[in-house]
This record gives sequence, structure tokens and C-alpha cells, in this order.
Amino acid sequence: MTIHLKNISKSFGNVVALKDVSISLNSSEVLGLLGDNGAGKSTLIKVLSGIHQKDTGSIMFDDKEVTIEDPRKSQALGVATVYQDLSLVELRNVSQNIFLGLEPRKARFFINKQQMDSDAKDLLKKLQINIPSVRSQVENLSGGQRQSIAIARAIARGGDTILLDEPTAALGVEQTSQVHGLLRELKDAGKTVVVISHDIKEVLNIVDRVVVLRQGTVAGEGYSKDLNQGTIVDWITGVER
Amino acid sequence: MTGLQELRDRDSMEYIKKKLKLVDSWTLIGLLATLFVACIFFSTQSEYFFTTRNFINISRAISIRGILAVSVTMLLISGSLDLSLAAVAAAASMATASLMISGYSDIQSFAGGILVGAILGAINGVIVVKFRIPPIIATLGTLLTFRGLGYVFSGGDSIVIGAQTWAYLGRGTSPFLNLPVSFLVFISILSFFWVLLNYSVVGNYIYSIGSDPDPCRYVGINVDKIRFTLFVFSAVIAAFGGLILLSQGGTAQPRALQGAELDIIAAVLLGGVNLRGGKGSLVGTFLGMCIIGVINNGTILLNVPAYWQMVFRGSILIIAVTLDSFRKGGGYR
Repeated sequence: MTIHLKNISKSFGNVVALKDVSISLNSSEVLGLLGDNGAGKSTLIKVLSGIHQKDTGSIMFDDKEVTIEDPRKSQALGVATVYQDLSLVELRNVSQNIFLGLEPRKARFFINKQQMDSDAKDLLKKLQINIPSVRSQVENLSGGQRQSIAIARAIARGGDTILLDEPTAALGVEQTSQVHGLLRELKDAGKTVVVISHDIKEVLNIVDRVVVLRQGTVAGEGYSKDLNQGTIVDWITGVER
Repeated sequence: MTGLQELRDRDSMEYIKKKLKLVDSWTLIGLLATLFVACIFFSTQSEYFFTTRNFINISRAISIRGILAVSVTMLLISGSLDLSLAAVAAAASMATASLMISGYSDIQSFAGGILVGAILGAINGVIVVKFRIPPIIATLGTLLTFRGLGYVFSGGDSIVIGAQTWAYLGRGTSPFLNLPVSFLVFISILSFFWVLLNYSVVGNYIYSIGSDPDPCRYVGINVDKIRFTLFVFSAVIAAFGGLILLSQGGTAQPRALQGAELDIIAAVLLGGVNLRGGKGSLVGTFLGMCIIGVINNGTILLNVPAYWQMVFRGSILIIAVTLDSFRKGGGYR
């Protein structure tokens, strides 16, 4: 599945967050989305995940134009998102978080808790995520464990495209490398992955292609093997050398 | 890849989990112990306390407030609050009584009262969900408005429908154990919503929205629809409570249940419901209601002056809020 975002613009009152942004997400690639604070990275992710609606522009899934009016539509199109603040429900357990909105049911209205716990265990095992119990409340988990649950939840949606907003911002060195390993596994599984990050070095290590946003517009893009940190810094800051 | 398999149980999460589970259990055990101690105390002070007749009186006394407490519990768990529920109950009973004395049938009048409850709940829902007004402010306003309208409508007078109307609902007793029908209605409503909260998909959403609505929105749950529906359902339950009150006394009064809001909220908080949402249970609410019911009954039997009863109730509210603060691990800053 190839996703094309064409001339996307989005404003909040007088503040222009995105202005004619055009980006393509190719199948089975890891794309790094870079930029300074306020560059429009998170807004772009939220447009694609249905949290915000674009003002103008078009979104094409395999050359078919789609309208993403809410998160449910985005999920139906195979897009799953891990937000910067993780967006986990602190007072619910691991299973309930992974399957929030997708709960296995019995008799239509009731949750099949046994199946939900069993499916959560299977998913965590498959992803090699070590959590003491799927009945653990999220508020009691460490930062790395929470990030893992957030990623597992995105994968549980069954989508082909995973969007991750600053997936390692709150993590230590070891936990960061573990998340990088998980991202590589997603790529190997044929998923399209978009990673937002401030960390240029990190991005160059894990992504295939880089797009840099500055003040709501695309400042530069290229394959990571052809880029170095200096070039990306120039795109981010707007400095011509 | 190395994956996340190296994530270890370094924070001893199982241990913490067990401790937390223990704390949750202690909330219920603590409530049972408090109830037990209160019963023992009042039994030693009054020969009338530990009698079947008195316990039936207590169960009858907590029925209507208990029904309203079910609504308050669900709203608090969802992160909302409705201070106007007692006023809604009074308005529903006024509307039903008015319809009855205007010549409408019992069923029509009953439906009219429930409909008034639904409309008032919808008004609260619109103010909170559409206009984004904090529930405590919105429902404080509607509490005064609904109560005031009740007085305006009746000119401050009661509406008498007769002591025999629906007497079985308000004053009847069941053949089994001789329990008040109103108490059985309370237990039925409580049981229904206990199942809903603990086993249904909607119940899971109510807890999740109360903990944090944003993740729910991000996965496509219609948070506003659930919140609005909860306001309407809660008001309908409160209206039903108002109709039982009407059948108990045979009169509808604009001041009915005035001030009951605080007793109900105190019982709900005492029962372990988190004031910030996301936590709590209807079993805790039931025990909280029983404790308050026993204390109210006991203080009356001991001829404690009414002013001192107010002091007791205020103290219970403070204890309940303090417990809630401890449970959250913080307080006012």
C-alpha cells in the first residue's frame, strides 16, 4: 500500500501548522519525519490518523482518494498510531489497553475477558515484549513497558501502516535500542512505518528515508544512506551552506 | 532483532500489583469492618437497633438515595458529576403527580415523569458535552434551575396523589424475607449496572473515559456520545427514584431530597469511587450507603439532636474525601 499526501494544509485559527505538504509513504519502508518543535510533524500524523481534519489537499491510498474524518476511518484504512503521550489509559490493565475499542465480544455487548487476555499474551509473546502480567495496570509499568504496550496496541489494530510520534523520547538508552529492534521487526514484517523524532542520529540509523518539515512545509527529503547529520540540520534550521 | 525480550521485571511489578490489589481489597474490607463496628456500637446503645424491623427501616431509608447513588457512581467513574440528580428526582415526581391529578392514567403519568427525567438529563448532557462546561459547574447551575422550577411550578406547595397510589412500589414488602420492594428495586438497579460496568464493552469504556478520555478518542470511541447517554440514563434512574419517593408518601414535594446530594456523594466516595474518575465499584457504593444509613438510623435512635446529625454527616463527607485523596496518593496543593 502506497499512501500519498498531496498539498495538505491545516491551520488552527491564525496559526498555519501545515502548508501544501506533499509526502509519499511507500510500502514496507521506514520513513523518518524530522523537524523542530512546531514544524508540523505531529499535526501531519494527526491528519493521517483522523484526529485532525485537513483544510485542503488530498490523501490517496493506492491512487484512490480517501476522506479520513475520524480515527475509526483511519484504522479502517489500516493506519495505526502511537502518539507522543502514548495515549494509554493509566487506570486500565494491559489487555484492556491493547484491545481498547477492539474488545473481543460475547453475546454482542459483553467483553470476552479470557479471550482478550489470551490474545494479549499471544501478541506480547510474538513481539517478545516482557510484561509481568496482562492484568497489570498501566500506571504501574515502566516507561519502556508502556511504550511497548502502545506499539503492541497499534499492531493489534492489524494495519499495514504504523505511525509513531517520538517513540523513544521518554526512554533510556537500553529501552531505546529495544524499541529500535521492534521497529526493524515491523519493517521485516512488511509494515510501513513512519517515525517522528528529534534525534537525527537515531533516525539515520533506523529509517530508509527522511522527510524534514520546517514551519509547516517540506524543507527537504532523501534516502538516509545519502544523507548526513549536517544536511538534515541545515534543512531543519533553514540555514544555507 | 533483540526485540523487547530483555525488558525485565526490574521494578518488581508483580509485587507492586499484589500490594495494590491488597489495597483495593482493603477498601471493601475496611468498609465492611466500619459497618460492623457501627452496628455493634449502636446495638450496645439502643435495644431497638438490632431488630429485623429496624433493619427493614434502614433498607427502606437507603433505597431511594441508593438508586441515585448508582447514577452518581457511574457518572463519577466516567469522570463526570451530576449535582442536580436529587432535583431531577423531585421534578419527575412533581411532573408525575401533576399528570395524575390532571386525569392521565397511571402509566401515562409514570412515563411522563420518566420523560421529564430524560429531558433534564439531556439538558445536563448538552451543557457538559456540547458547551464543554465542567460538570460540577454545569450541574450546580441546573440543580438550582430545576429545583427553582419545581417551586415555581407548584407555587411551593405539595401535590397530593393519595396514599394508595402505587403503594406497593413505595411501601410494599416482598413475601420473601419481608424486604421493602423499594430496596429490592434498588438492589436490582445496582446489580444490573454492576454487570454493565464490570462485564460489558460500554462499562469498559465508562472506566476508560473516566481514567483518560483522549486515548479513547484516539481509538475511535465516541466519548461525547457515551457521556451524553450517561447523563440521560442517570437522570432517568434518578427520576425513577423520585417516583418511588412519590409512591412512599403519596405526595410530590418541590423540596423533596433537598440536600441529599451531599449524603449520596459522601457515600459514593466512602465506597471507594475516585473523584477524578476511572476507579470505583457499585459494591463499594452499596457499602457506603449502608454505613451512612446505619449512622443516620443510629443517631436518630439515640436521640442525637438534628444539628449534631449534620455534624456527623459533614464529618463523614470529610473522611470520604480524605480517603479519596489518600487513594490517589496526593491532595490539595
